[in-house]
Amino acid sequence: MINSVRNTVLSILNKNNYGYISPSDFNLFAKQAQLDLFEDYFYSYNTQITKENARRSHSDNADIAKSILEVIEDFSEVTTLNTVASGNVFYLPRESVEGYSYYLVNSIIKRGILTSGTTTSSDAAQNLLIDSSANFTATTEDQVAVGDTVITSTGRVFITAIPNSTTLATTGLLFNASGISYSVSRPVNYNSVDVEKISRSKIQMLMNSLLTQPSDSFPAYVMQADTVELFPIRVYSFGEIEANCIRYPKEPKWTYISLSGGEPVFDSSAVDYQDFELPSSDEPNLVMKILQYAGVSIREAEVVAYTKSEEVYNEQQEQQS
Amino acid sequence: MGYITDKNYYDNAANHGSYQYVSLQDIVNNFMLMYTGNHSLINNEERYKILFHAKRAIQELNYDAAKELKVLQLNVTDNLTFILPPDYVNWVRISLYKDGVLRPLTQNVQTNYAKAYSQEADGDVIFNSDGSVVLIDSEINSDRLDGTKRSIYLNPRNPFNGMEGYELDGDWYFKFNMGARFGLNTETANMNPTFRIDKKTGVINFSSEMLGESCILEYISDGMENGDNSSIGVNKLFEQYVYAYIEAEMLNSKLGVQEYIVHRARKRKTALLRNAKIRISDMHPSKIMQVMRNKDKWLK
Repeated sequence: MINSVRNTVLSILNKNNYGYISPSDFNLFAKQAQLDLFEDYFYSYNTQITKENARRSHSDNADIAKSILEVIEDFSEVTTLNTVASGNVFYLPRESVEGYSYYLVNSIIKRGILTSGTTTSSDAAQNLLIDSSANFTATTEDQVAVGDTVITSTGRVFITAIPNSTTLATTGLLFNASGISYSVSRPVNYNSVDVEKISRSKIQMLMNSLLTQPSDSFPAYVMQADTVELFPIRVYSFGEIEANCIRYPKEPKWTYISLSGGEPVFDSSAVDYQDFELPSSDEPNLVMKILQYAGVSIREAEVVAYTKSEEVYNEQQEQQS
Repeated sequence: MGYITDKNYYDNAANHGSYQYVSLQDIVNNFMLMYTGNHSLINNEERYKILFHAKRAIQELNYDAAKELKVLQLNVTDNLTFILPPDYVNWVRISLYKDGVLRPLTQNVQTNYAKAYSQEADGDVIFNSDGSVVLIDSEINSDRLDGTKRSIYLNPRNPFNGMEGYELDGDWYFKFNMGARFGLNTETANMNPTFRIDKKTGVINFSSEMLGESCILEYISDGMENGDNSSIGVNKLFEQYVYAYIEAEMLNSKLGVQEYIVHRARKRKTALLRNAKIRISDMHPSKIMQVMRNKDKWLK
């Protein structure tokens, strides 16, 4: 979509030879435009819910809230959180570790962990979890079973078989070394619970209240900078805490091959190529937004005025619908 | 808690009878799912508020509707006291267990304990150097402990115990049936030991006849299971009432909710409690028949 957007933008800007924007400028404007539209989705969703409650929205193909939610959920990520130090404070997803920054934390889940440990040897085929100190065949109520999930810092896989008491066969290729921390959880586990977000100003009162103090059944967390602190205060196992976040869209990048003395030619095979992540239906909006930024950049008031009026018209249309 | 296999049920004693109950976790989870959200009356409320009201509902049910009695047996020793259990809220019945028979005790209408201040001969109260009053053993306590306190009940400490009748101010009173129980005070006509509960100090004080005897306390708690949220639950017959209670309480305290909505929620809560109380009262036709058979007994 990014090439199509760029071509349209250039086509409009170049109509009267008003101006030209370079690939790097286009990428900067594209990033801003995408972020703008991304954030608008949350406000649009809110507006649609208000309409639904006023019985001004309908079902099936007229269910606008559903389609907006689908777009938002495209940016949903589930990540196992890493502790700051062994304890109850965890890092939220970071660009440098998880590869994305979060826009908002949808929920934090405390997983019911059946067992956890560290691999004691590597597997040549990489799909066998071997832990000589484990007893995967112990007959208990929380016994590990086929279908359970194994969580490691590099991903999660399912158990396909339990060959013996110290080995689990899995669907993934994660176990190429000893010393890999893992936890085993069950997809439907009644010990897995939502962790409730509490404001820092309320947490002490909550802790002092006999009826509402955080417990393993009803845990809570407070946010601080790029970390979350969990309550009740205790040491949590690896893989026990996971976050469901809405991440920021990835930075769009129109990549090209430079031709000597000519126009840059679009190259989608470049390593750093990144298309827009918004749906195709947003292409006109992206074009309008980028034109606004470009219009300001080349000091072309007509372009800015036109795109602004288009935007206002579209908003009015949406309000009336 | 999820459904469990038959094997898990029978193997683990903690699971026995568990199907009668719905756990606190389930209640809060179900309420969050079914009664809150963008299109519900309750929206944008923290889970801890729902948890609070769920627990309050369970406490209220335990006080007067759930019929979840706890029973504790302890021996009464030299100090003639029975320390109330840690989860005690109120008593239902206190009995003496003797010779294989439970003998329900009567709460003494008169007090049998007191604090006492140390006094000068002229009646002035004596104080410590820090200005607090000096406490001493009260006479009523000492008398009770050494067995010299008399009783108005027809038990061994009664001045007229064992007499077939007694004369007082020219009138004759009879303890035993001699054609009729003339002058018998039926309120105190009980031969068993008596007790008073000192709520502040958390003990039951018995009359001296309880020395060395075994006491059975039937009491109610608030269902909070000593703060262990994973053990808290409520009988399924009350489940719908608990949801209605939470909803009504939350709407009641929420800003801008129309009065008719609050009123509707409150009415629903009350009606569901009434239904649940009827259900939990175990009124089966066979049971009623059994009680009704009592009408045919021969009195003479």
